[in-house]
Amino acid sequence: MRRLKKDNVLPFLRERNKIEKVFCPQRAEDRDLMFMPLEDGVYTGDIGKTTISAKVVLFPQTEEIISFREKNISKIIDSSKKLLFGIRPCEMKAIQLTDRFMERDDIIDPHYLSRRKEVSTVVIACNEPPSDTCFCIDAGGMPYLETGYDVQLFDTGDYYIAIAGSEHGEEILANKYFEQGAEEDRKKLEKIKSKALHSQDNKPGFKNAIEILKEEKADEDFWERLADRCINCGGCVYVCPTCTCFNVYDLPSQGGYIRCRSWDACLHAGFTRETSGHNPRPTQGSRLARRHEHKLKFDIINFGESGCVGCGRCSDTCPVGLGAIEVIQELNKL
Amino acid sequence: MTNSIQEFEDAEVFFVIGSNTTEQHPMIASRIIQAVRQKAAKLIVADPREIKLAKFAALHLRHKMGSDVALLNGLMHIILEEGWEAKEFIKDRTENYEPLKAVVATYTPDRVAEITGVDKDSLRKASEIYAKAKRSMIIYAMGITQHVAGTDNVKSCANLAMLTGHVGYPSTGVNPLRGQNNVQGACDMGALPNVYSGYQSVTDPKIREVFEKEWGVNDLNDKAGLTLTEMIDAAERGDIKALYVMGENPIISDPDARHVSRALRKLDFLVVQDIFLTETARLAHVVLPAASFAEKMGTFTNTERRVQLSRQAITPLGGTLPDWKIICEISSRVGYPMNYDSPIEILDEINRVTPSYAGITYSRLKGSWGLSWPCPNEDHPGTLFLHKDQFARGLGAFDAREYIPPAEVPDEEYPFTLITGRVGFQFHTGTMTRKISILEREAPKAVLEMNSKDARRLRVTDGSIVSVESRRGELHLPVQIKQHIPESMVFSTFHYSEKNINELTICAIDPVAKIPEFSCAVSIRRI
Repeated sequence: MRRLKKDNVLPFLRERNKIEKVFCPQRAEDRDLMFMPLEDGVYTGDIGKTTISAKVVLFPQTEEIISFREKNISKIIDSSKKLLFGIRPCEMKAIQLTDRFMERDDIIDPHYLSRRKEVSTVVIACNEPPSDTCFCIDAGGMPYLETGYDVQLFDTGDYYIAIAGSEHGEEILANKYFEQGAEEDRKKLEKIKSKALHSQDNKPGFKNAIEILKEEKADEDFWERLADRCINCGGCVYVCPTCTCFNVYDLPSQGGYIRCRSWDACLHAGFTRETSGHNPRPTQGSRLARRHEHKLKFDIINFGESGCVGCGRCSDTCPVGLGAIEVIQELNKL
Repeated sequence: MTNSIQEFEDAEVFFVIGSNTTEQHPMIASRIIQAVRQKAAKLIVADPREIKLAKFAALHLRHKMGSDVALLNGLMHIILEEGWEAKEFIKDRTENYEPLKAVVATYTPDRVAEITGVDKDSLRKASEIYAKAKRSMIIYAMGITQHVAGTDNVKSCANLAMLTGHVGYPSTGVNPLRGQNNVQGACDMGALPNVYSGYQSVTDPKIREVFEKEWGVNDLNDKAGLTLTEMIDAAERGDIKALYVMGENPIISDPDARHVSRALRKLDFLVVQDIFLTETARLAHVVLPAASFAEKMGTFTNTERRVQLSRQAITPLGGTLPDWKIICEISSRVGYPMNYDSPIEILDEINRVTPSYAGITYSRLKGSWGLSWPCPNEDHPGTLFLHKDQFARGLGAFDAREYIPPAEVPDEEYPFTLITGRVGFQFHTGTMTRKISILEREAPKAVLEMNSKDARRLRVTDGSIVSVESRRGELHLPVQIKQHIPESMVFSTFHYSEKNINELTICAIDPVAKIPEFSCAVSIRRI
């Protein structure tokens, strides 16, 4: 157990930024809190909840994946070293779920995995929920993590208590800006954890919603009724830390072509429309059902865990009040 | 809009006429749906098509295309007959009431049912729902304005609101939904032929003096200029030699596209300033590449008159400049130096010369959600709804209008009515949205929407290619059968330059606003 004084965070990040690209929550004047490269923003110590999760680093909004030039076809792989500082526990859990999804059976995504392999993760546990829409505890998660990270920090006020969660984490903690922790930190840690576990009031009824879906109580009418106010913007999908659907297209580039992929959303009709014109998810209600059933039902069947980590970003973003929280609340009324 | 978007929540009645709100103003439509579902607000939709919003309506009036004045006069007739008018409001706050009464007296339910095709019972119900509620909002869009009777339609909406006292209070009013993020702002800034910023007339010597002083010039022109439709006509006649087009693609967006194309080709000099090389820009002698919204800062004024700050997200790509800089450079080179440092300095000038924008300063916009005009000074909180206690002109003037039919009605030769519009995934002439693969995937091509009965009669089915012909042009389009279209009407969109529906539409214009009608008569043939 070690300590990182808050005054030392920025010097530490700057030092790391010389050997690997550092990303952390930052906010330019009057703008949203975003996960962005250290040099592109102003680090103020405000970790909060970024509008878009750390997903944006591992699975960028748009990325080049294949280059075609004359007879050369080559995969474009980013395997540069990166440090993600200030990931929230729910986001880290989302990364763990995505890792499993991107490497399952015989399906592997080399672009994601090569990037992921070179990423170090520094999680900052939540003493209190960073926003009213957080519901990780209701969703079966926790405001801190037991495993699956490199370093986890706990906020004591003046300094962070730092715990290594991997061998690589131990190496990070060997940095000169981390000091030896004291015995009192152990007590402080327990206190922070138990307080954090009881700090979340938002309980939309996640487990019951899963049961209701399992019992198939949500029929077509239920979803169509919700979808009546969906404006099909895809915002919930783009901000979701576990949504990884993408669209592929080719762009001309220096005499050849570059194949790119960009975030896509299952809520758009064209996402499932077939060449014939037939669409297996023909209505907005059926697409909304697919999205939520995927997270709350099929992920549990396929992976044993739900695909929603309770970060509440979809509810923050949806302009018509139709994020996971509202959908779960509506399911609970059935 | 006389009222603001947040007031939708507390309305008791929405009267939506000539607006496909879920498609074109989805955020507002979502508020209407929520108010209907959660607060038991009543919705009346007046639209020939069974638009999505009709599903939530207590009443759907499918009046014939272009019969809006007759419909609105008919509602007023019933309201007066039943004594549902707002007597106090009419007495205290309006004038010209008697002439209105005289005109609407002739719009009996029988006559209105005949003109509009709406049954008498529905007319009565609509009148009662709208008039008797305390907070009723009228909401309209291009379905009201794009007619030869566009001005009459708007005036009739205002007459109805004043007759029932549904204006000047929260959650009431006459609410035109503006179709673009800054079309309100463009009008506010005097991008019109007859006014300076804040709708200050160019014919008023006192106002000209203010601007002459601000700009350090003499003899500002005291005559109103030409509207867009008039300019195109003047260009074709040879009366206009040069045209400078900014952020417009009239070859695709204006009616009778071949006429537009002929007119632009006749010009000695055409300049187009845009972010992409549009169809219109291809005809230009000079193209000035402009920066996009993300590459510049400034303000947008939205449909509820709210001025909001927009920040620069990225530096301009490809050597482009923001529009204001291009204008400054050109002005300076033709002999009138404009040396603004930034849009902030321009906003300072707007504050000085525009009374309704006087209090909408940069320091207040920064870090806020914006301010709605009129906002006459820096302590003013902005105005959520207009005409409180008093109308802008003092008394609200009724202006009774008579029904006039559309310029081109179906006949034996051209038996269908073609109406045009947009879908939610494409924006206007598609110069921006058609470059985005996911949006293009959602709405990839122009189709002709048609009722199944007409399709059967023409022996066509989904995907059949038909020839659509008007007096001005012909186009081949695939049919899409849509039950929400009434018989003898077809619908298509104007997003697609390769299938430019505006080659068919008509440039018959409203005599006052000079807005074109677009809708026209067509014949359809299986090929």
